[in-house]
Amino acid sequence: MFSRGSLRRRSAITGYALLAPSLFGVVCFLLLPVLVVLWLSFQSWDLIGPITFVGLDNYRSVLSDGVFGNSLLVTLIFVLLVVPIQTLIGLGAATLLTRSLPGSAWFRTIYVLPWICAPLALGVVWKWILAPTDGALNTLLGQRVEWLSDPTLALPAVAAVVIWTNVGYVTLFFMAGLLNIPGQILEAARIDGAGAVKMFWHIKLPLLRPTMFFVLVTTVISAFQVFDQVYALTQGGPARSTDLVAARIYYEAFDAFDLGRAAVMAVVLLVILVVITLAQQLYFRRRVTYEMD
Amino acid sequence: MKWTKFGSTAAIYLVLLLGALLTLGPFLLSILTAFKTREQFAQQSALSWPDPFTVENFAQLLTGPAQFGRAIVITVLAAMLILVGQLICSILAAYAFARVDFPGRQVLFWVYLSTLMIPPVVLVVPLYLMMTEAGLRNSFWSLVLPFAFASPYAIFLLREYFRGIPQELIDAARLDGANTLDVLVEIVVPLSRPIIATLTLITIVSHWNSFMWPLVVTTGTEWRVVTVATASLQSQFNGNWTLVMAATTLALVPLLVLFLLFQRSFVRSITIAGSA
Repeated sequence: MFSRGSLRRRSAITGYALLAPSLFGVVCFLLLPVLVVLWLSFQSWDLIGPITFVGLDNYRSVLSDGVFGNSLLVTLIFVLLVVPIQTLIGLGAATLLTRSLPGSAWFRTIYVLPWICAPLALGVVWKWILAPTDGALNTLLGQRVEWLSDPTLALPAVAAVVIWTNVGYVTLFFMAGLLNIPGQILEAARIDGAGAVKMFWHIKLPLLRPTMFFVLVTTVISAFQVFDQVYALTQGGPARSTDLVAARIYYEAFDAFDLGRAAVMAVVLLVILVVITLAQQLYFRRRVTYEMD
Repeated sequence: MKWTKFGSTAAIYLVLLLGALLTLGPFLLSILTAFKTREQFAQQSALSWPDPFTVENFAQLLTGPAQFGRAIVITVLAAMLILVGQLICSILAAYAFARVDFPGRQVLFWVYLSTLMIPPVVLVVPLYLMMTEAGLRNSFWSLVLPFAFASPYAIFLLREYFRGIPQELIDAARLDGANTLDVLVEIVVPLSRPIIATLTLITIVSHWNSFMWPLVVTTGTEWRVVTVATASLQSQFNGNWTLVMAATTLALVPLLVLFLLFQRSFVRSITIAGSA
């Protein structure tokens, strides 16, 4: 009926026709914006006036004035607070929930609830709970603690809210990882006389390494992008003590109206996160056997 | 021996219950407060039961100048349009990547996959500039367009799923004269219901919750979504917590209900979503 060449051409036409709408989306709303943000990082724009080329001025200004440096440092501290703590709690919860006690499924469901809800709305709820005079927590404690306006407490408070949101998500992955450990291995260790503690340290934890690595990488990446909770709780304050990078980009662009500087910060964040992701990919490439289900 | 076992089980339940209490507490506090009068909120403990029980806060939100009802409608409409657009575009693309042979398939697939590395936060500033230039800032379409065409992530998951569909089924339909669209509508989509349900949940949740982009691209109440309306209530009526908690309750409860209805597929979709 058809020659081989015309069949191949038909199949190529079908392929591109099917791909056209998504290709439009990927090019216009993912690839083009990356080029635009790179371009914008060499321009000056205040949202209203014309866009003018300023060369490396934005880079010089962002890298020299310390505001962005502070932001990166705050973000780093934030990531170092959030990731280990939520990993530990998640691992602990998963260990308890995989003991097949009755009701475990209910607890798992409850723990995941914050993860599926709007971080902004939860941030607003916590803003009230942590409010100094009429907040729920201080009412319970019976004393006034400035959770969100004390520069030493604000960052840990924001971190606690984010941990509270994420713990269920982390728990789910560790549960999947623990349930993936073959029963024979655990049985063999039990016969060899390993107790619960030994079993955890010497059998389960080493076998959880891929899950652990996956959880660490994804939660580091998401912690680098936290915005909603900061917007709701502290707006970056007090004294820039909670000025996480994502919030800094927002305030630089839509509060200080310096889109060029915001673009520079976005480019730096992009580079940091792409490097982390590529490192993760390289690691995973070497571990083809690992499958999550 | 038996007693220590009993003791350790009791201890585990105690820890689990404490965790559940800490997790549910803020939700319950938000809902309780939303049904209280301002007077009761000012006079009694945060933990007190609503007395009298009032829906005044919700009424004020939905009928007052906050236009919360409008925000809910806009959020639902935007999420639905994004969902339909994403599903159609992603199914077409995933089928092309899974089952159609065309030059450049591998390269394009890697380009799609590589966009998964782009953090959404980075896109906000350039998309804002693009929407401004296109004259679409502060419009309904600015909420929808950037997300309605495709999600590389959905394409990735669908492609994996489509590859598991037996080629014989497709070939048989082909012999009966079905074209590519017939095959998609009659065979591929019906067989892929579970993954499509999963993607539906992920898309609805993430766009109901989405905040930064709508905050940036809309101004005023006209195209405000639920999260933005909640945030602006908080800054506008700072201290009027019964009203603000009614807003957070309206923002949180629909997803809680959705979650409890579709618990199983939700839990699966989170693990799938994370591991891709």
